[in-house]
Amino acid sequence: MKKIFGLFLVFNLVFVLCACESETNAEKDGMISATREIFAMDTYMTVTAYGENADKAVEAAEKEIYRLDSLLSTGNTDSEVYKINSTGEGSLSEDTEKLIEKSEWIYENTDGAYDITVYPLMDLWGFTGDKQAVPDDEDIKRVADVCGFDKLTYADGFIKLGENMGIDFGGIAKGYTSDSIMRIFEEYNITSGIVSLGGNVQCCGNKTDGSMWKCGITDPDNHNDTGSLMGVISVSDKAVITSGGYERFFTDEKSGKTYHHIMDPKSGYPAESGLKSVTIVSRDGTLADGLSTACFVMGKERALDFWRKNSDKFDMVLMDDNRKIFVTEGIAKDFTSEYDFEIVKKRQNCDNS
Amino acid sequence: MKKGILKRVKYDIFLVGILITVGAAVLLTAVFNGQGGEYVCIKTDGEVSAVYPLTENRRVVINGANGTNLLVIENCQAYISEADCPDKLCVRQGKISMKGQSVICLPHRIVVEITGQEQKDNSDIDVIVK
Repeated sequence: MKKIFGLFLVFNLVFVLCACESETNAEKDGMISATREIFAMDTYMTVTAYGENADKAVEAAEKEIYRLDSLLSTGNTDSEVYKINSTGEGSLSEDTEKLIEKSEWIYENTDGAYDITVYPLMDLWGFTGDKQAVPDDEDIKRVADVCGFDKLTYADGFIKLGENMGIDFGGIAKGYTSDSIMRIFEEYNITSGIVSLGGNVQCCGNKTDGSMWKCGITDPDNHNDTGSLMGVISVSDKAVITSGGYERFFTDEKSGKTYHHIMDPKSGYPAESGLKSVTIVSRDGTLADGLSTACFVMGKERALDFWRKNSDKFDMVLMDDNRKIFVTEGIAKDFTSEYDFEIVKKRQNCDNS
Repeated sequence: MKKGILKRVKYDIFLVGILITVGAAVLLTAVFNGQGGEYVCIKTDGEVSAVYPLTENRRVVINGANGTNLLVIENCQAYISEADCPDKLCVRQGKISMKGQSVICLPHRIVVEITGQEQKDNSDIDVIVK
């Protein structure tokens, strides 16, 4: 009898041990993951990482977001950018210097379609605050004349702005931040993760099942309905960033005309280039962010010409005002849509020759 | 007589042993069935506003009808850790982890429920770019 009783005790022990074991295994199989939701840079962000250090990695990412926000904010009186804008000059930290260099590259290579000096124009139109209105033509011309990256100088970590100038990294800061988070993920040996900084997405590696991340691109005409997409792009280790006039806009009461927030630095008016949205896919989040704005301003033909010269750096999905979708060939096989789309080749067809 | 009592005690112990074994087996099944499938479904004003896997640690700010609640998903358990509602009943409802369990904040019209399936459109999409 004692033996049988002893046997039962052993059974019970084994059961309890199994129960503990199965719990830890289940956690391992399901991959440890951590997600943070953060309100910063005037938007809502989510950061997710998978792996053993997931918790630590997302915590470090959150800190980095707050650090960059306090450095680059145009409204925070303690920020480096605020100080530069209010005094017209200032020393550049490592981060702002990198941002200036990247901004200059995009400015020069897109013929000024992306310009960090449009800040006074954004301010004039009211896009830096809550109240937007169409300014007088004269005011627009006056302020547009002040803008231009070529009117600022920087060297040896010091920047000097021209009269009444102002800079804003708003069109590139979120991409730079997601780039930084990817580096943090690497430091913590995270091989799978995804961040969305107010809809600007950057993916680390693949999903935990080894498949690519599926990023749904918002339909510009149905942007309030998250179920409505213009297409889906599958990526690994890439940033996917969209710019469109549907993001921020206002309607002028007098004319009934709608004005969006993407300024054409040359005209001083919101860009009317015939595009509804531009989605850039690139390993470089900072570049993707800046180029989404630049290509939107340039319009389809100029954007595609620019892509042909730089197709090693990025790919893109365009939707024009007639809802026609164009996808560059580098990502065409990873793009799906319920609508028809045209694949743009690097080499134009030579039918005539 | 003494021997008889001893025998009966032994049988009792035997019976207790069986009960413990069955109990452990039931517990084990519950643990196995409980892993992996659950989601935390958040409903505000009766509508599903978000669904998260129970296995992913996270903190979510829920914007309810008259205020906000902080939902924490941690170690396969979900609970409201903070809220600005007057009665704080949701905070006192504690941690939930089993399918069908829920925490409700009436003043904010928020229901946090453990469900068996992800209830989301475009469920194969990982993220929306906008």
